[in-house]
Amino acid sequence: MPRYELALILKAMQRPETAAVLRRTVETLIERGAVVRDLENLGERLLPYKISKHDQSHRRGSYFLVDFYAAPGILTDLLNHLHRDVDVVRPTVLKKETQVSNSHSCGYKE
Amino acid sequence: MDKHPQMAIVITSCGQRTQNGRRLMLVISGRSVQVARLLKPRSAVLVEAVRGRKSRTDPVAKSKQGRIKVPPPVDPVEMVVLKERYTEYQLIMRALRLEFKEEMLRKRYDEEIGSMAKQRAKQEAEEHHALMTWNKQENLRMLKVRMIRIQKENEEAEHKKLEAAIEREREQQEFIREKEREIMQLQEDAKNFITLENLDQRIEEALDNPKNYNFAIDKEGRVVKQTVLQ
Repeated sequence: MPRYELALILKAMQRPETAAVLRRTVETLIERGAVVRDLENLGERLLPYKISKHDQSHRRGSYFLVDFYAAPGILTDLLNHLHRDVDVVRPTVLKKETQVSNSHSCGYKE
Repeated sequence: MDKHPQMAIVITSCGQRTQNGRRLMLVISGRSVQVARLLKPRSAVLVEAVRGRKSRTDPVAKSKQGRIKVPPPVDPVEMVVLKERYTEYQLIMRALRLEFKEEMLRKRYDEEIGSMAKQRAKQEAEEHHALMTWNKQENLRMLKVRMIRIQKENEEAEHKKLEAAIEREREQQEFIREKEREIMQLQEDAKNFITLENLDQRIEEALDNPKNYNFAIDKEGRVVKQTVLQ
């Protein structure tokens, strides 16, 4: 199964609420037959610009990263669902590449 | 002037004569045009006289009334001498020409039918025979060489095929091993996956440990991993 990454920006909330949202999300993923590999927290930080979503404008958000294996057919559904979630500011699903492509690397080499 | 015997109806043989007495321009008309064309001397130019503006029935012009056509005057003594000389000259020329022609014909005859022909035919036959035998020998030799070459190539090809088969086998094995390794890796990783049971625990863990992937780097290659998280 191809490997995806869900870059999730959640509203700046208290810890239990954030935990609840995360739990919701992961359960949704598992319901649709995904295998969740890892969950990372990139911290609560200032958003690069003001984002308005669900009749609210946000300046701060918490960034989370979910690795999962899933069938490609569920992605649109999943994204729809996440867009409708009030606490989610911006969901983004990316494909995870196993190899870094050499042709596009910048000039610096270690 | 004596008329040229071939020209039945001749109006005039005008124009200059050359030193030989040959006529440069022969004026002819009527039925003898084709004949004259065939029989004229080589250096003469055939000019056909054509009735211009006037037809046969038109009256003679005023300026030409009473004109009597007079042939050019001839000195008899001179004429005799000339005639003799001409005959002699023409005799000699004709003789020379015929001699040359005869020589040429004789040579041609010899070439084709004479004594040389049989010899030459025999020589050519021998040469042909020799060349044919040489050719056959060459063919045999080339055949042998070719056979050897083909055999060698076949052996090479078989050898290569075997090697290719071995190579493929090896690669297949390699592939299988690689895949097995990946599977083992994945199985190891699977122990760390999130399931419904560890979900809460993992969420707590994640919330407790924020990760920071940002780093700074300069042209010398110094990496700075510590950044300020706003």
